[in-house]
Amino acid sequence: MSTSNSTNSSAALVALSNDLANAVERAGQGVVAIHARHRVPSSGIHWQKGVAVAAEHTIKRDEEIQISLPDGRTVPATLAGRDQGSDIAVLKFDAGALTPPEISDSSALRIGHLVLAVSRSEGNHLGASFGAISAVGGAWRTWRGGQLDQFLRLDLSIYIGFSGSALVNAQGQIVGLNTSGLARGMAMAIPASTVHRVTKELLEKGHVSRGFLGIGMQPVILPAAVRERLELGSESGALLISVEPDGPAAQAGLMLGDVLLALDGQAIRDTDDIQAHLGSEKVGKDLTASILRGGALTQAVIRVGERPRRGR
Amino acid sequence: MILRMNGESAVRFDEAFSAVGEKLRRSTVQVFDGRRGAGSGVIWRADGWIVTNAHVVRGNSARVRLADGRTFDAEVMARTAERDLAALYVAASDLPAAEIGASTAVRVGEIALAAGSPFGMRGAVAAGVLHGVGPVARVGEQRWLQADLELAPGNSGGPLADANGRVIGINSMIAMGLGLAIPSHEVEQFLRRVMRRREAA
Repeated sequence: MSTSNSTNSSAALVALSNDLANAVERAGQGVVAIHARHRVPSSGIHWQKGVAVAAEHTIKRDEEIQISLPDGRTVPATLAGRDQGSDIAVLKFDAGALTPPEISDSSALRIGHLVLAVSRSEGNHLGASFGAISAVGGAWRTWRGGQLDQFLRLDLSIYIGFSGSALVNAQGQIVGLNTSGLARGMAMAIPASTVHRVTKELLEKGHVSRGFLGIGMQPVILPAAVRERLELGSESGALLISVEPDGPAAQAGLMLGDVLLALDGQAIRDTDDIQAHLGSEKVGKDLTASILRGGALTQAVIRVGERPRRGR
Repeated sequence: MILRMNGESAVRFDEAFSAVGEKLRRSTVQVFDGRRGAGSGVIWRADGWIVTNAHVVRGNSARVRLADGRTFDAEVMARTAERDLAALYVAASDLPAAEIGASTAVRVGEIALAAGSPFGMRGAVAAGVLHGVGPVARVGEQRWLQADLELAPGNSGGPLADANGRVIGINSMIAMGLGLAIPSHEVEQFLRRVMRRREAA
């Protein structure tokens, strides 16, 4: 009857369906299940040979972790490092003959692009959900102080095992690590470039270091008279309300009551502006601070320290 | 790769979607068991056999309404509690039966469509992808087609179909945000048993 007709008219849908199933199959070869919490496993990506990345918040124990692999094996894994700030954990395992998947850059993603989240769950089954990129932004500092190269919000459904699953584009390429743990349960992806950077650092040092000045601040409005007299460009600065004894700022001579106006010539209008100067690459480097002290301008050179690691 | 959605492929996709949805709607029925709201069902055989969930029809009889508006009294011929299936029979021989797909050959990520009457809204179609295949934690050992799409209680007993509009399962429950469907080959086995018993009687 109308079978041949409906087959013709459904061709576009069938082609899309096959593309999606192929994309899941291809990406699934790089997706693992991680047993590091009570009851249900989370997902992870075989990022480089013998190294898996997962969502940090799903790793509930540091030992007796197991990974279920695309080749059907379940093997022990050791935690190489974890970074709460970016919600990335790195695990090492024996990959055997498995090769890691191709990882692609996420920078070509645009709002509306179709994407899949590919997970591996209980019983080593693949899982998929389908949706679209709903927001793309520039670099984003997470609420826990991590730095993502790109803000990627996803419009797709979140199910058990979503965190740590692979963000897969329409070509079947893995372009990020999905998590619902960075912004109150919202579906997001950590871009591949950020995963690369954090993974490298976790493998080298076991943690992600952050710069540290040893000061507490609050933003203050600068009096108009002072601004005019000193020809200051900005209207506000950061008032030092605590200075840690022997901390990097104290050693550079900064004192309680100083107002920080700029670091390396870049204006500090708010305490958030300081964070941009405290990435892990700044540890051990010198920063020139412009300071307002007793109504006069002065400068100090601060050697950025490393933020002490708090016990978990 | 058709996913580069230039205007043309988006339109082709749109047309295909509505054609497949229409095909699926034709063989989907609304099932009323008198006391409660409506569930859904699938016309499995043109000669009167309709499949739905056991939990949709509690009594021995029900009424079904086809997409073309015809209504029939249906007899509940059999039900199986362990798989939540029921076989209905109506006295008709020209029903628009569903095309049945191969539920053993489905792939994770492929497009899945559901038709039914969520919240009593007749002929609604939902689309998504097949999330997974296999048992679901805390639901039991049975094999389910797990669909990533929006279902509501009125979808119970209705079809889950592939991108060709071929029925691959009967939507039965919602668990952890996923629509769980009984694979069509199990429905087929159930219906064959029922029909054999009827012939023997």
